[in-house]
Amino acid sequence: MISRLLELFLAYEEDPNVKLVILKGKGRAFCAGGDVAALVRDIRGDDWRAGAKFFLKEFTLNYLMAAYSKPQVSILNGIVMGGGAGASVHGRFRVATENSVFAMPETALGLFPDVGASYFLSRLPGFFGEYVGLTGSRLDGAEMLACGLATHFVPSAKLAMLEAALCIVDSSDPVIISSIIDQYCEQPSLKEQSVYKRLDVIDRCFSQKTVEEIISALERELVHKMDVWISTTIQTLKKASPTSLKISLRSIREGRLQGVGQCLVREYRMVCHVMRGEVSKDFFEGCRAILLDKDKNPKWEPSKLELVTDSRVDRYFSKMNTEEWEDLKLPTRSKHKLPLYAIAKL
Amino acid sequence: MDRAFQRTKILTNHLLQSSPSSPAQIPSLSSNACLDYSPPELSEGYAFDIKEMRQLLDGHHVADRDWLFGMMMQSKLFNPRVRGGKVFVSPDYNQSMEQQREMTWKRIVYLLERGVFKGWLTEKGEEAEMRKFAYFEALGLFDHSIAIKLGVHFFLWGGAIQFFGTKHHHDKWLRDTENYLIKGCFAMTELGHGSNVRGIETVTTYDSNTGEFVINTPCESAQKYWIGGAANHATHTIVFSQLNINGTNQGVHAFIAQIRDAVGNVCPNIRIADCGHKIGLNGVDNGRIWFDNVRVPRENLLNSVADVSADGKYLSSIKDPDQRFAAFLAPLTAGRVNIAVSAVYQSKVGLAIAIRYALTRRAFSVKPNEPEVLLLDYPSHQRRLVPLLAKTYAMSFAANYLKMLYVKRTPQSNKTIHVVSSSFKAVFTWNNMQILQECREACGGQGLKTENRVGHLKGEHDVQSTFEGDNNILMQQVSKALFAEYVAAQKKNKAFKGLGLEHMNKPCPVIPSQLTSATLRCSQFQMDALCLRERDLLKCFVLDVSQHQAKGESKEHAFIMSYQLAEDLSRAFSDRAIFQKFVEAEATLAAGSLKDVLGMLRSLYALICIEDVAFLRYGYLSVDNAAAVRREITKVCSELRPHALALVSSFGIPDAFLSPVAFNWIDANSWSSVQH
Repeated sequence: MISRLLELFLAYEEDPNVKLVILKGKGRAFCAGGDVAALVRDIRGDDWRAGAKFFLKEFTLNYLMAAYSKPQVSILNGIVMGGGAGASVHGRFRVATENSVFAMPETALGLFPDVGASYFLSRLPGFFGEYVGLTGSRLDGAEMLACGLATHFVPSAKLAMLEAALCIVDSSDPVIISSIIDQYCEQPSLKEQSVYKRLDVIDRCFSQKTVEEIISALERELVHKMDVWISTTIQTLKKASPTSLKISLRSIREGRLQGVGQCLVREYRMVCHVMRGEVSKDFFEGCRAILLDKDKNPKWEPSKLELVTDSRVDRYFSKMNTEEWEDLKLPTRSKHKLPLYAIAKL
Repeated sequence: MDRAFQRTKILTNHLLQSSPSSPAQIPSLSSNACLDYSPPELSEGYAFDIKEMRQLLDGHHVADRDWLFGMMMQSKLFNPRVRGGKVFVSPDYNQSMEQQREMTWKRIVYLLERGVFKGWLTEKGEEAEMRKFAYFEALGLFDHSIAIKLGVHFFLWGGAIQFFGTKHHHDKWLRDTENYLIKGCFAMTELGHGSNVRGIETVTTYDSNTGEFVINTPCESAQKYWIGGAANHATHTIVFSQLNINGTNQGVHAFIAQIRDAVGNVCPNIRIADCGHKIGLNGVDNGRIWFDNVRVPRENLLNSVADVSADGKYLSSIKDPDQRFAAFLAPLTAGRVNIAVSAVYQSKVGLAIAIRYALTRRAFSVKPNEPEVLLLDYPSHQRRLVPLLAKTYAMSFAANYLKMLYVKRTPQSNKTIHVVSSSFKAVFTWNNMQILQECREACGGQGLKTENRVGHLKGEHDVQSTFEGDNNILMQQVSKALFAEYVAAQKKNKAFKGLGLEHMNKPCPVIPSQLTSATLRCSQFQMDALCLRERDLLKCFVLDVSQHQAKGESKEHAFIMSYQLAEDLSRAFSDRAIFQKFVEAEATLAAGSLKDVLGMLRSLYALICIEDVAFLRYGYLSVDNAAAVRREITKVCSELRPHALALVSSFGIPDAFLSPVAFNWIDANSWSSVQH
């Protein structure tokens, strides 16, 4: 699917008849992400390069979407997770509905929020990005709009009309397209228990320098009074792969200070190390426990945060010193007239 | 006749608007396609690893700096604004003085709550001190006022407790300072005395009946002035004062005095006034303080160097008052180091903005119908900015050396630290003002917008050349120290050791009469030239002073009269010392593109030092040599042009801490941005 999307996006850019691209899913998901289980099967043995090849293509698509010369409208009427987020959030418009469920669940799997998530999560308000990326927490349509992951909220009943209106637009001007979507838009309210109403606690805790200090800060919050959401958050963090947590935190923090291209280049290095499994095999163990055997009891190695040293973490961020490996080379965008919002991301 | 015919033809064309037919047709004016902003990243490549270069420049605690950047970027208190699709954080300097002071304080509280200041006074060790420097550097990139407020509280008030105080002071004050339960300031400077601390007029006596010191401001010139934090917030202060014990003036000492109570009322017998609006730094509440026979307990004397017994006897282990004073002030060098380093980072901001702008702004075509030329493609524009880049890189390496020197200090290295910190503080802050001015001009009108930062930084940082030691005084200290070294070496017939003067022990370097490009780029030649100037000027200075002394003048008077040689000498010392650090940094690298580019910068730095008028004035170079140097500088600038983006990206300053003019300055000024 990635290959096909890449082909199509490249073709549409050159086709003067194409003014905008609308992306939508089928059934109960926009896109639930990459077929990770298949990836793990392919990698059995030494063939981590097959896995790397997939990510190379996917990250190239993500970059193309981020630096695309025409607006992309993604209709997120359902599950949008992992790779699904990568295929939509980088585009200019993201339309959430009452059915949207967003998540970056990678830390539970021994992976890390990739697909340029270190770029878009780090740009969410305060330290919400760290919270979403480390806990894999699910967000609904209202929350997606509130934090900026979605640009609009349209009730699913109006989607057909929206699509029809967009199909007859003869312009690539984002201002015009936005005003069309605005006509079908609603302002949803956050649910009572919405995690987005806990930003003060999230900012206090998830701004801490290390994963250990984040967890300590959350535990300190519990000293004065019991809070189900805080204790659930702590439990989620304690169940995730310690290696994943540390590399995810560092990825988001570095991504905050980088353009989208640099983020993807860095994430590609990280994902190659994950595929290769020479620093930790948590990815394989995570997929086994959650996706294959489904016992939901992964045995992480290293098993504790204190055992994941800084030098271990450093390795994920360095180049692979194997033959024929190269840093991700992103397509040059200088020949295209990029819109302003795309230029700002570089 | 020909000319009249030409004119008639042109006028005919205007009137008839005929289509082009003859070859003599003047091309008609056509409107250019609209200017498009193209980010430099799309057209300029990176020939070396900018992460590696950043590690070299910052030297330490890169991840900690980035964490603090993130902390500031993600909070509304730091005034995030969107311009041209990007977020920038910078204080709102259009707020009133009172509002700016209030915001500065709120930001400090926010950072305090996030644990940024943990261990700043209670944790010991080199790593903790270096981390503190790193945080200050990062904070300074946001705003000078917040850095000054914190500097006054932690380095000056806190440092005084640490270094002038003893155990009972540490136990009583350090933790509360770190947690901001009290707010400290530092009352040394008076209206009548700044550089000459020993001449201050505040007087303190001791009342043995009550066991109290009595601090008094005897006249208007003795009022404490420019005391950061005093006008609004500070609860306590260090007071510097002459100490009179039993009719004898024992010299300048430091005391702790409370100036406000816990709810913010000024204490009795203390008067405080505001210093008023300034040309910059209006986020710092500078105040003036009068002490009206304020009584403080005996324990409030900071007694690491001297003490007063309960019955009023003055006690000190250091008998010589000059030595006592020197020991007393030695700990203040941390502030000086901080300022020197901060100046380098401001230069980085200025250059990153000016060079990024010059990579996207065009002006004038060379041939008609061609696109206009990028500013940085003009040799003259390169000549203005690229040497400043070399200077900034040089200062960066020298600054890292200075920090390490300070952090690894021993009683034996105190003298070196004093001389080097004086030299570097003066040179870096002066260079910074020059660099900011050039960068402002290079941004043209856009440099006048406060939100574009580069121009505003000038007013904000102007104070650096006169506080914590007036630069001219500091450079005099350098020349006096070099004089003393020379005289000592001569007298004891010993080799020069320390302060990098070992080159004086070798034979005098010789400058070749013909300066080829290869020679000019050679680090040995560059070092020889700088050492030659330093060596010769030191000899001349010593000679000049002795000649004055031979006429019966005192040494002090001779120094005053020989000021020009002293200035040239201290400049020579500084350039050579900084250059040495550049060469050392370059030597740590393995061969490759990073080392090659750094080598070009190093040569450029050396050559602009050698271009200084002193080399012709004192005859170290011939007129032809000087011309060759000049030509080589232009050459190196053009060779460095392709690396300009990589070199400023290596500063590691997040985009949010630069300004709109460094990015999409067209979109930042669009009508749609006015409407939102």
